[in-house]
Amino acid sequence: MRRAVRVALGLCALVCAAVAQAAPAPDFAALAATPRWQALMHVNPGATLRGVGTSYVDDDDFFLAADGKADPAAELWATWQALAPAGSPARCRFPARYRFLAEKLGWQEPEPLAHCEDYHAWRAQMPIGRLVLVFPAAYLNSPSSMFGHTLLRLDASAEPDAVWLSRAINFGAQAGGADNSLFYIWQGLAGGYPGQFSVTSYVEKIRDYAFVENRDMWEYTLNLDADEIDWVVRHLWELRGINFDYYFFDENCSFRLLELIKVGRPTAPLMTELRFAELPVNTVRALYGADLVAQRRYRPSKARELEALAARLDSDERALAAALREDTSLAAAPRFKAYPPPRRHLIAQVAYQALRLRNREGARDPDVARKSLALLRVVQRNPAPPDAPAAPSAPPESGHGTQMANIGVGRQDGRDFLSFGYRLTYHDLFDPMTGFLPGAAIEGLDVQLRIDEADGLALERLDLVNIRSLAPRSDFVKPISWFVHAGLEQAPVAHERRALGGFVQGGPGASWRVGDLFPYVFAVARLESVSGEEPGAALGAGAEAGVAFQAESVQWGLHARWLEYTAHFSRLRTGITANLPLSSENALRGECSHETWQRDAVTGCSVSFRHFFD
Amino acid sequence: MKKIIIGAVLLGSSMSASAVAPGGPGCGWGNLLFEGSSGLPAHLLATIVNGTSGNATFGMTSGTNGCDVSGTLTYSGDSLLAMNGVLEEVAQDMAVGHGEALTALTVAMQIEPADRDHFNSLMHENFTQIFPRDDISSGEVMDNITTVMKRDDRLSHYVS
Repeated sequence: MRRAVRVALGLCALVCAAVAQAAPAPDFAALAATPRWQALMHVNPGATLRGVGTSYVDDDDFFLAADGKADPAAELWATWQALAPAGSPARCRFPARYRFLAEKLGWQEPEPLAHCEDYHAWRAQMPIGRLVLVFPAAYLNSPSSMFGHTLLRLDASAEPDAVWLSRAINFGAQAGGADNSLFYIWQGLAGGYPGQFSVTSYVEKIRDYAFVENRDMWEYTLNLDADEIDWVVRHLWELRGINFDYYFFDENCSFRLLELIKVGRPTAPLMTELRFAELPVNTVRALYGADLVAQRRYRPSKARELEALAARLDSDERALAAALREDTSLAAAPRFKAYPPPRRHLIAQVAYQALRLRNREGARDPDVARKSLALLRVVQRNPAPPDAPAAPSAPPESGHGTQMANIGVGRQDGRDFLSFGYRLTYHDLFDPMTGFLPGAAIEGLDVQLRIDEADGLALERLDLVNIRSLAPRSDFVKPISWFVHAGLEQAPVAHERRALGGFVQGGPGASWRVGDLFPYVFAVARLESVSGEEPGAALGAGAEAGVAFQAESVQWGLHARWLEYTAHFSRLRTGITANLPLSSENALRGECSHETWQRDAVTGCSVSFRHFFD
Repeated sequence: MKKIIIGAVLLGSSMSASAVAPGGPGCGWGNLLFEGSSGLPAHLLATIVNGTSGNATFGMTSGTNGCDVSGTLTYSGDSLLAMNGVLEEVAQDMAVGHGEALTALTVAMQIEPADRDHFNSLMHENFTQIFPRDDISSGEVMDNITTVMKRDDRLSHYVS
């Protein structure tokens, strides 16, 4: 390397004369090893398994040296060569690299980027105030959105007047047109599509997440100063149109944002450990761990706003609001007029918000539009003092860890067993509730093993996926709850005998909410194949009913599921679960179940200790 | 991985991925009040890979024709109102008397902080004049706001 540099220095003596005089033979290897250059190059420090020591960038346009991806020092040398001449077009392409070289090598030019018109025009639109990480949390009736997004927001000042007008910095896979086929999703998961950074207006993100998708948004102000943010913005320009392969599990949006933040503060311990299955909530935790978070703000979704407003009405008022939504002429009725103006204001506002919640998306409906304006006029005619915003629930990062290991003991039909298991991700209905969306559960890759005196070690259960959404129905919203569950489990096949079988089950349902209690019913369809049993595949249909109690201090539930199979047998399963959080990362769980198959039954109870971690 | 696909399929089936695109090229008048947000063009994709369809915008689009304002970074009052989904937020804030959408509008219109409360009250009082019909367009709403401001001693200089 050194020799190559010397030779090249000789070759470019004419071009680089000025620089060579000012700073003879910079130590490129040492400079390239500095944290800032490593960050500017997106060198993998071992945070993911693919390509440790090389750049994450998968785009030749990003590199000036032929082997720039694998050799940060060679890239630094090529950058030095390209950026040294005054008026060099490459300076406009790499303003952060320029700043790096200028600071390290003592280049002093009054207006080194004066010729970069596009860059200056863009920078004029990117005023630096503060940088904020935004986490749109899980949304109602979609537990899979727990895996959600993160993005950055650049505010024009430290105390911006209107963050609607701030800049949103987003990393996402780039689709070609409106292709949303399963094939596309597969490509997105497997890294087949490129990801790029983009810059938009934050108002578009608020609309997409808080209005359309009804996701609460958490905004974490970072304590980067103006100088550190300048690094980030300069480097963002270098990433314009630059492709990274997008991998759902590790190199995803959250991961890329950590890299960007690291350009601003290279010493921040953000990527020091292996980061697999990077979830947004862990990104937030990493930022807290690196002491980067100055402040947290909650932005309620439209659904949450409505819920908070409706909670201020009594049941008569809620019924009136629901009626007013259907028939706005009720605003002239004595029943409505009997309330004082501030109550009328609130009732009409609830009616309006409920109407919009149901109709915000999709084509314009003249009848809904007419009602909407009529309700707004009632709101306006009946003034009320400003009300407090919806209170935030516990923030997502206060929730339990995403992985879980458990150990327990139990007894089934007179035989004692020892059980242990591991779950990759993330939360079931009875896990500690703090920081999670009530009624939402998603589990992926949950393995449970059992050792008993007679059979030795056996697989008790393997859940590939288990998603359950209890979306409560209210006066104003009537969502369909749903669940889907697939995996392997021990199914009763004869008296006190069970066999391993694969199954897929799921169905739509309805649930309600009474305080912390969620009663629910589901229709269930189930396809199963139990080893050694006939028929090879059995199809069943039935129903499930139950309740789940989700307070922060304790969680419990009861359920009964009955299935009638086309092969003329039936299964009835009943169970009870109770969960006691011991600390933020530990819980004690007790479970009993009784499953009948034809005239036989299997009954068991267990108690286990569950530990959560990341 | 599988869990995500299944989740996404169910998720997708429960949502209408509307293809309505108000504010298309040459629409002239901007959005109508209560137009309805078309939302993300591909919910599935958005959920899985944080994706956006089309090219990665970098705030480098040259601005707006008063209709299609996607990708722009700086808004005038007109272009903010013309943006899909914003008009109804502004309408609600004006009916209530305050709110984030209204604040964003004052900032976009470059109204000084000291005048913003006054602007909010004025808009609230003149709500019926600003939103006389439920199918009013963002362009007409902007005209009505301007008319109301012109009559006001304190705010007329912003629109003269």
